[in-house]
Amino acid sequence: MLRTIFALAKMHLNEHNIYKSNFYLFSFNRLIEVVVYIFVWQAIYYQTGDAGGFTLSQMITYYILVVSINPIVLWGINEDMGHSIRTGRINKELLNPISYFKYYFGMNLGEIAFAVIVGIAVFVVCAIFWGVTLPVSFLNFIIFLVLILLGIPITFFLQMIAGTVGFYSGSIWGIQILRKAVISIFAGVIAPITLFPAWFQALSNYLPFQELIYTPINIWIGEFDMSQIVFVLIKQVIWIVILYIIAKKFFEHAVKKITINGG
Amino acid sequence: MTKVLDNIRLYGSFLKTSLKEMLVYRLDCIVGMTSQMVTQAVEIIFIWIVFQNTENLAGWNFMQIMLLYGITLLSVGIADFCFDALYDIGPKYIREGDFDKILLRPVHPLLSIIGGSKEFTSLGYFLLGLIITIIMLVKLAIPITIFLILKIVFFSIVGALIIGGINTICSISSFWTYRSNEFIWSVYQIYTFAQYPIDIYNGFIKFLITVILPFAFVAYFPTMNYLGWDIYLIYLSPIVAIVLWIIAVKVWNLALNKYRSTGN
Repeated sequence: MLRTIFALAKMHLNEHNIYKSNFYLFSFNRLIEVVVYIFVWQAIYYQTGDAGGFTLSQMITYYILVVSINPIVLWGINEDMGHSIRTGRINKELLNPISYFKYYFGMNLGEIAFAVIVGIAVFVVCAIFWGVTLPVSFLNFIIFLVLILLGIPITFFLQMIAGTVGFYSGSIWGIQILRKAVISIFAGVIAPITLFPAWFQALSNYLPFQELIYTPINIWIGEFDMSQIVFVLIKQVIWIVILYIIAKKFFEHAVKKITINGG
Repeated sequence: MTKVLDNIRLYGSFLKTSLKEMLVYRLDCIVGMTSQMVTQAVEIIFIWIVFQNTENLAGWNFMQIMLLYGITLLSVGIADFCFDALYDIGPKYIREGDFDKILLRPVHPLLSIIGGSKEFTSLGYFLLGLIITIIMLVKLAIPITIFLILKIVFFSIVGALIIGGINTICSISSFWTYRSNEFIWSVYQIYTFAQYPIDIYNGFIKFLITVILPFAFVAYFPTMNYLGWDIYLIYLSPIVAIVLWIIAVKVWNLALNKYRSTGN
């Protein structure tokens, strides 16, 4: 089964290979996104001598890592799923000898592989332009990677939930944007969570989102209290189970209920 | 001249059809518009956080930046609505072969394509921009005169034309790649630079958004005029728009000559 999933992932990654320009354009997009953040914080730092409680180089590293990791968290197979619902191709996919979830998980891995390549490229280019601080220790770097990996099933199940909404509305475009906005707000894409109001910080401590971006980056730059790490890891695993159950039940319910455009 | 007028009239009827289509996809439209507004929440939260950490950004305070933001959204909303179909040239028209049909129409293909835009959800941007603009004008105690309203209406449309011109120029990439959307999108994203005072940027980016891709003329210079900081630069905007469109139509016609059907 694993082999099938990897084969799907490879196939999906190769789709990106056909259009090499995608790689440059997507990386370029990431660079554009980081420019505003960095210049705004630089301006604040030069005016007030403080960048939201971080040093300027920490803040710059924060945003460079945000735009590098962000594709892993936000990209995925939602568009493909929406397309398959709209065109009725989903009929065939449901009859596949591999389950719908595993099929799309494989595709999603391919997408993430592409996101990782883009992320690394963006990171390297940004590092040349602005300079970044490296992870404070090797252990921190490993924990950073573990948290990123734990994020993959979480973002995948979120996509499946968003995708299933498409069965009802016929289009997943709107819900997709909503998914991305929610993750962007709660994961710390906009700014480190510590700069948000206290109630927001309390709330996001229980949600799985800040561990997708904010916590890994804080571990990288050495601003994370390591005694919390066990709690964080357990929390993520619990969320994976919860989201899996919701996604699975919701999907099964939707498949029974829904009539699909004849394909 | 009559030809230009004819084209404008034709575009008007295209626009009417698009607006009618909104009624067909009512639910999707509402969901889409709401989502567009939610995405903007991301930007607004960022601006809010910035001003938790500083009193002013290169001399602009929170309300002034929000006014600039609202004015930008007005133009972006109009532009997204009117020029959305440019994204389809590569993936939809050329690759699927629909472009050949468009060439057979007795209308310039560019008008045919742009007229087919129906990105009604971007009206969410427009609405949000309108709300923010009005609130900020009131809060900043800028007198809302008829003249100011006319100015904002006129320069929002001019701003949308500047965005549309830049997008049209970029859309010729579809004649080679058959998938224009990503390239237009990439370049288009640079407009976000002009949502902040350009004094925070280095020389290269200042040059980029005023000369190479004149996004600063979409809302930045107009907003400076509304705030009474710089009276004259705003009047360059229409000139920029006209120049961009002359270039756009020229390069588009050149690219059209290179067009080879994918034939299916």
